[in-house]
Amino acid sequence: MPKMFSSKRILLSHDWKWIIHSLGNLILDQFHSLEDMGTLEQIDAPQTQSSSSSSSSIDSNNHPSRTPPPSSPSSSACRNRTDLSTDLRLGLCISPSSQSELPFHSTPREESFNWPPIKSILRSTLVGKQSHLGQRPSLFVKVYMEGIPIGRKLNLMAHYSYDGLVKTLGHMFRTTILCPNSQPLNSGIFHVLTYEDQEGDWMLVGDVPWEMFLNSVKRLKITRADRC
Amino acid sequence: MQRMAYKFSFPEEVLEHVFSFISSERDRNAISLVCKSWYEIERWCRRKVFVGNCYAVSPMMVIKRFPEVRSIALKGKPHFADFNLVPDGWGGYVFPWIAAMARALPCLEEIRLKRMVITDDSLELIAKSFKNFKVLVLTSCEGFTTDGLAAIAANCRNLRELDLQESEVDDLSGHWLSHFPDSYTSLVSLNISCLGSEVSLSALERLLGRCPNMQTLRLNRAVHLDRLPNLLRRCPQLVELGTGVYSTEMRPEVFSNLEAAFSGCKQLKSLSGFWDVLPSYLPAAYPICSRLMSLNLSYATIQSSDLIKLISQCPNLLRLWVLDYIEDSGLDALAASCKDLRELRVFPSEPFGVEPNVALTEQGLVSVSEGCPKLQSILYFCRRMSNAALNTIARNRPNLTRFRLCIIEPRTPDYLTLEPLDSGFGAIVEHCKELQRLSLSGLLTDRVFEYIGTYGKKLEMLSVAFAGDSDLGLHHVLSGCDNLRKLEIRDCPFGDKALLANAAKLETMRSLWMSSCSVSYGACKLLGQKMPRLNVEVIDERGPPDSRPDDCPVEKLYIYRTISGPRLDMPAFVWTMEDDSSLRLE
Repeated sequence: MPKMFSSKRILLSHDWKWIIHSLGNLILDQFHSLEDMGTLEQIDAPQTQSSSSSSSSIDSNNHPSRTPPPSSPSSSACRNRTDLSTDLRLGLCISPSSQSELPFHSTPREESFNWPPIKSILRSTLVGKQSHLGQRPSLFVKVYMEGIPIGRKLNLMAHYSYDGLVKTLGHMFRTTILCPNSQPLNSGIFHVLTYEDQEGDWMLVGDVPWEMFLNSVKRLKITRADRC
Repeated sequence: MQRMAYKFSFPEEVLEHVFSFISSERDRNAISLVCKSWYEIERWCRRKVFVGNCYAVSPMMVIKRFPEVRSIALKGKPHFADFNLVPDGWGGYVFPWIAAMARALPCLEEIRLKRMVITDDSLELIAKSFKNFKVLVLTSCEGFTTDGLAAIAANCRNLRELDLQESEVDDLSGHWLSHFPDSYTSLVSLNISCLGSEVSLSALERLLGRCPNMQTLRLNRAVHLDRLPNLLRRCPQLVELGTGVYSTEMRPEVFSNLEAAFSGCKQLKSLSGFWDVLPSYLPAAYPICSRLMSLNLSYATIQSSDLIKLISQCPNLLRLWVLDYIEDSGLDALAASCKDLRELRVFPSEPFGVEPNVALTEQGLVSVSEGCPKLQSILYFCRRMSNAALNTIARNRPNLTRFRLCIIEPRTPDYLTLEPLDSGFGAIVEHCKELQRLSLSGLLTDRVFEYIGTYGKKLEMLSVAFAGDSDLGLHHVLSGCDNLRKLEIRDCPFGDKALLANAAKLETMRSLWMSSCSVSYGACKLLGQKMPRLNVEVIDERGPPDSRPDDCPVEKLYIYRTISGPRLDMPAFVWTMEDDSSLRLE
């Protein structure tokens, strides 16, 4: 099986990929059906129920640029077949392009705290040494929510203001965290964000400028608004 | 020739005695498969158990099969947890294991954990339940405080080894060390390098003084250099030492004191620590360099010239971990001086910078591959690479067993030809026939995976990031690598097809991790349904995958084989795909 694929790959590798990329995504489908006609001639495969145009297994996202175009994920229509191994041999799958996100492209910001792959303990030692601009060091602090024994870790350096921090935490803990100096618009359960500073005191987040906050925060706690 | 038909078998005790010489887990597993009686005899005399994935089997299953086990090793979170890819709270809790073993294995002596969550409650339970407890190794673990350590120190009278390597400890104070009673003398190995607070140095000195079998001492950063000589004088028989901070006020008596103390350690073979190094203090360690076999300078921010002076005095070095400050010139010196070198790791001093800050290129690695004939294990961070260099390295060192290359900028091509690095890595897998572990980086197409599937027959662990074009890449690996156990993938355009076509392969592996790829929720559900002996975990912090269409890709996917079914301790952002027997056809 791999042998067949390798000859197919040679035919379709560099030449086709560059052509496909430069002609753009709009023409992509037509090229895909051309490729699959070639596929069906080379491989003796039993006919399957799937019909119409199919996407090949080659997606045009190997350009050296950092933002490859989206690939179309396989559709659930294929799932009716019981023999899973024929899927790949045929390279056939109906794939409407979906609205879903680009899954395999990390944002540059995400890259900085899980790439390159060095352990946190080395990362935190080195970060202290770095001096010039353009760096994106990390500052991980633990965040606990009232009532939940397991805490989460958050990189404060990935945010540039209280707004971003509050949004991320609200998303992470699935609650609404009141911004500093704001009132809840309706009734319901709300939480506020507090932090422990270097002296061990618990303060309400948002009282001091963001940079000063970064220098003094040790850990965060989310508590219910009515308890404060 | 007489042919005698008779039944001949060794008495059980004899077989047990024979088995006692066999310690490798794989060999033991092989023995247990010979016949039923060997299975029974073997399970009663198995003393060491290694569980590579704590969720692959339940504590009760292990205890029932091996009732006399004395030493257990458990691993929890997937490897990518080291790089913050596994959200906090995912799992890996050791408490159920400790609780079950506390009840059933009172003679347990050794617990070794990696990437697990262990609370103070667990530590206290260990301290109280195992009278002959000897070894506690917590590598990259978290969840406990120094209070838990105090319980261990106070109660484990026979403790020999306490190793907290790279664990995250809530360091409440250094006072826990003083909980070792005055009558306690059995310490052999102590690694507290990850702790933040100061421990009482006088308590430590007294402890070292009364433990004649001390062999390994890894101090934490808070121990000042001028206190090191006193500590060393208490245990001159040390084999492995991790210093604390390696700088202090320049005072001549501190230097001579330190040099004398080092000279007194005639057995010292391994050095680490070296935070905040003051280069003028390095020569104090020169007296022991000729005996050094392992040198970990991963935190030492010293320049190439100082590194060269140190390394050229270590002809017996087997292992070197160093920052890229060593530069190509330092690696040339390494290649010239350390002919016995087995393992080299070069870490990036400025991992987030775009421009190179040091003169370290692929040339350094090529030099070492030429000069060090016994080099087997490489971990190398750099900013440029070429197919030609990889080819040379592969041909120079066909004995490589571990090759991990990280080109810092994702998708970087061959800097000479601007082509993908497929053929370079292809040469590595083709020539290094014993390669067990491989990490890829740089610009890579499906081609490299074809090479890996074709040649990587001994490959057990593969790490892939920002590589490949299509499902073919994943298919090559899953269908070609016969010995693959662990596969971890991030940010690659691999989707449903290869995964579903190779579903059966997944049961022959320990685990598969895929994050920021194109595997759809529908495919995960299908895999979960079809493969009851796999746990298919969807990790998604955007909320329930049911709230999105089936063809929407999942954020992260962790698949592992298990005989204990779906786990019950999942947090809100992890879903195990159900095994639905009614949907299975035939």
